[in-house]
Order: sequence, then structure tokens, then C-alpha cells
Amino acid sequence: MERNVCLIAGGMSQWGVREASQRDLFQEAAKACFEDNPAVRPTDVDGLIVASAFTERCSFQTHLAPLVAEQLGIRPRSVCARVELLCASGSSALIMAYGLIKSGAADVVMVAGGEKLYMPQRWEVFYSELGTADREWDGAQGLGLPPPIFAMVAKQHMKLYGTTEEQMALVAVKNRRNGVNNPRGQFRQPIDLETALNARPIVSPLKLYDCCPVTDGAAAVILACEEKARDLTDRPLVYVRGTGQATLHNMSANQPNWTTWEALRIAAQMAYKRAGVKPADIDVAQTHDCFTISEIIEYEDLGFCEKGEGGWFVQEGKSDFGGQVAVNTDGGLLSCGHPFGGTGLRQAIEIMKQLQGRAARQVEGARFGLTHNLSGPAAAHTVIIYGRDKS
Amino acid sequence: MTALPILEGRYAASMDFYPQQSKEFTRIWPFYEHLKQGRFTTTRCRACGRRSFPPRAICSNCYSEDMEWVDLPTRGKVLVLTEEVQGVPLGFEAPLIHALVDLQGEMTMFVRLVNCQPGEVREGDEVRLVVFPIPEVPQETRSGVIKQERVYYAFEPVR
Repeated sequence: MERNVCLIAGGMSQWGVREASQRDLFQEAAKACFEDNPAVRPTDVDGLIVASAFTERCSFQTHLAPLVAEQLGIRPRSVCARVELLCASGSSALIMAYGLIKSGAADVVMVAGGEKLYMPQRWEVFYSELGTADREWDGAQGLGLPPPIFAMVAKQHMKLYGTTEEQMALVAVKNRRNGVNNPRGQFRQPIDLETALNARPIVSPLKLYDCCPVTDGAAAVILACEEKARDLTDRPLVYVRGTGQATLHNMSANQPNWTTWEALRIAAQMAYKRAGVKPADIDVAQTHDCFTISEIIEYEDLGFCEKGEGGWFVQEGKSDFGGQVAVNTDGGLLSCGHPFGGTGLRQAIEIMKQLQGRAARQVEGARFGLTHNLSGPAAAHTVIIYGRDKS
Repeated sequence: MTALPILEGRYAASMDFYPQQSKEFTRIWPFYEHLKQGRFTTTRCRACGRRSFPPRAICSNCYSEDMEWVDLPTRGKVLVLTEEVQGVPLGFEAPLIHALVDLQGEMTMFVRLVNCQPGEVREGDEVRLVVFPIPEVPQETRSGVIKQERVYYAFEPVR
């Protein structure tokens, strides 16, 4: 028995530098999620999957899902567990909830994800990042913070395909402009091209606005089987149409190509196939713009344009409102920030609102939406496709 | 800032970014013994011939545990490099120079470049393995605490 699965509610805490603990943030996200759809009560939720990557390092807390369930007044009886895939923890948790509901093992599942990353001592989070690559090999070489990795990706993409610093800056300008409409994001000030190009260097060629910030925050969504969804919302149903997740390697020595992400191509093909759509069908996408170069490569490997044309894709406005596919309409990681476990859920919330016609800035008539995360040193990729129709 | 009194003078492995290297804690401890001799090595499976990096106790291709140690090149060429000036992790000094290095066509990997100034090394330059001591680890045993000597590696320019 395979069932259709719908996204019926979503909300997020304020994201940024927060005077709050990890558990405060999860409560804020769940409150916003229940407020988004007052028809759903905590007692309607039969399962909880929590997404968090740094809970042990930054909050000294394991066994997080029961703790969060208690904080949220949820008493799970189908599933109660935590999922970790660093930057894709939220999307991974969502895929698992989807599978459980589809199979009949759960009916109504909340997926809540987030991080508390600002510590009394700023060095702790950067230090912990050494465990995000292969810690015994890459981490011990000082590699773990993403900027140097993506700086070298950018240098190679520039050399191979002629991508320019200006094209990368245009991604930041677009996403910052989109972020102005998102009251819960970390940054709400637009920037112009000159500001982006003249910002201080972080790791050359990446400058300040090419990089997403460190962020405290959480987000939560509720997924339900179609039958329950009809009872629990009057809004248009938003269906999870297909998912894909792929990883081919982790350590830097085993990455054959830094500018074409084969794992992303595989994950995307799986998701397109299962969803029964093509790249050209996607109206709105939230992709993993941890760095501006990431979004450029994602246009290519998600099939929105040819390899090497990603820089031109943004320069010609094809990833903006009114273009071929509106990308990071809520501001992306560059505006909203990136509390690892929260990001995939933030993306899901924006796609849900776009497909229901109630986004802060609407992509007219959006029928298909896509979310993408990369995690680790571009080693693992997660793609989810949503639609307004079940098939 | 004062450290927490409970940790005064104590070693915490959960705060150590270097791996444990002794045979009590890892099955690939010979890698580090070879490193002390200036050798850069990895494992090859005797059953199927698959060479791996990082070295491993069990082959991911055929799951045999019959592994042999083989030498890797200790010289390579810089493909891309970048100098990190902001937010360098604790334990590393700014600028932290990372390079993607091609080890004579056998393997490419990210390494740290040391013993050079920013701007000194360029793409295409030759670099070589350099081994250095890192803080030793106190290991509790039945007969008391023993100090486990450790080394690690980076690369430096060939001048």
C-alpha cells in the first residue's frame, strides 16, 4: 500500500544571532508551525523526527528527539528519532518521514530541525567544524571550515568555464534582494553589485557576501498522508512527488571532480524520475547556496542549464523572478543563514507556500518546486521535488 | 578567560583534532609508525588488489582483511591553492594555506602547506611531505599513565 504524502504546515523561529538555547529555538519553530495551520494540534502528530548536526558539540545533548518531543508537547507513537546529515539533516529527516508515511508506518509526522551555533567563545563552532570533513585526514590538515574548500571549487570553475567574480556576486545580490521579504531570515538588507564585489576577502576569490553566515535557528514542518491532510487543511494540497539522495565519496582524496558534482546529478535524476518531471518543469527551487559558486554549479548539475553556463544563467536573470526558474526566492542560505538541521525545512516551507500561492513574493502559477542540499565537502546531495498535483 | 577548573591540566580527546594513533585505539596504527620514518603509506588489499586512501583495516571492495602497506609518492604538484586569513580554526595559524595536490598522478588530495610565506607557492609548484611532532597523548593503563608520542604530516615547497 503506497500512500500520497502532503506537506500541511511549516514555520520557523527567528534566525540569526539569538539569545536563546537550542531547546528554545525548537519550541519557537514548532509554535510557528502550529500557528501556520491552526487545524493541527500537537495531539494530532503521531511521529517526530528531529534534525540536528551539532547538538552534541554545541549543546552537549544526545537523545535529542525525546527531549524535543517533551518540549513540544508531542507524544510520538510511530517514530521518534534524530537524523544527522550535516547541512542536509533537515531534508534527510523529511525524506525519512515521507517514507514512513508513504508506507503506512506513520500518519502525521512533525520534522523539526535546528542548531544553536553561537557559543560564549566564538572559536568553538569553528573548531567543531573540523569534524565536518573527514576529521582524521582532512580535518587534521586544517580543512573543515567550508570557505577554503569552496574557494578552490570557485577557482577551478573560473579556470575551466570562465565564470567571473561578478557572476558569483550576482547570486548574492539576487538572494539578498529576495531575503528582504523574509521576516524570519538573518539578513534583510539588500546589497548592490559594487558592495558585493568590494567586500572584504574571506578566502580568495570568495568575499564576505559570497558566504553564508553562522546562524542560530530552527524550523519545523508537518507531513501527513493524503487522507489526514484533507482533514487537517483547507489549503491546496502540496505533494512530495519524488526524492533522491546520493553520495559517492567523502574524503578529499576520493573526490574525482570538484566542479561537476556527480552525486548531485544522480540524486537529481532519481528525484526527477520518481516525480515524473523534467528540469524544465521546475518553476521554483531552493538550492544550497552556502556559497555563491555553489548555486552556480547547482544550476548546471540540476539540469537547468548546460555545464559551464551557470555564471551566464544568473547574469541573464534566468534564476530570478520572471526567469526560467526562480531560485532561492526566500533569500536562501545567503540571506536566511544556515542552522544546519533547519535549512532543508526552511526550503520546504518556502516551496509549500509558493505552491499554495501564499509566498511573500509569489512565482505566478508555480506547480512544481524543488529543494536541494549539499553536505560535507560537496560529497552528499539531497533533492526533493514537490508538486500541486499528486501525479 | 579561565578554563573550567574540572579540566585543569586534563587531556580531553573530544577536543583533540588530531587522531589517536596507537595500536590501542586504531587498527591502522602502522601508518603513523611509517610516518615517523618519513614514509607516506596506505593499504592495498592482497585479495583483490584495491588500493585505498585513507588506509583501512577492511577492504571496501571485497571485505577482505588481508591488507598490505604500500608507499605513496611523497612529492606532488600544486593544482589549486588558497590562503585562509579569516576564522582559522584553533590550533592552526593564519594564514592557513590549503592546496589541492596531485601526487604524481596516483592521487589528488587537500593538504596544508607549511614552511612558506603567503604568495610564495604558486600553481604548478612542486611540494613534498613534511612530518612533525604533535602533542603527545596521556593514555591511562593499568600500570599508570603512559605518554603516547605522535607525529602528523603536511607538505612544504621544494626549494
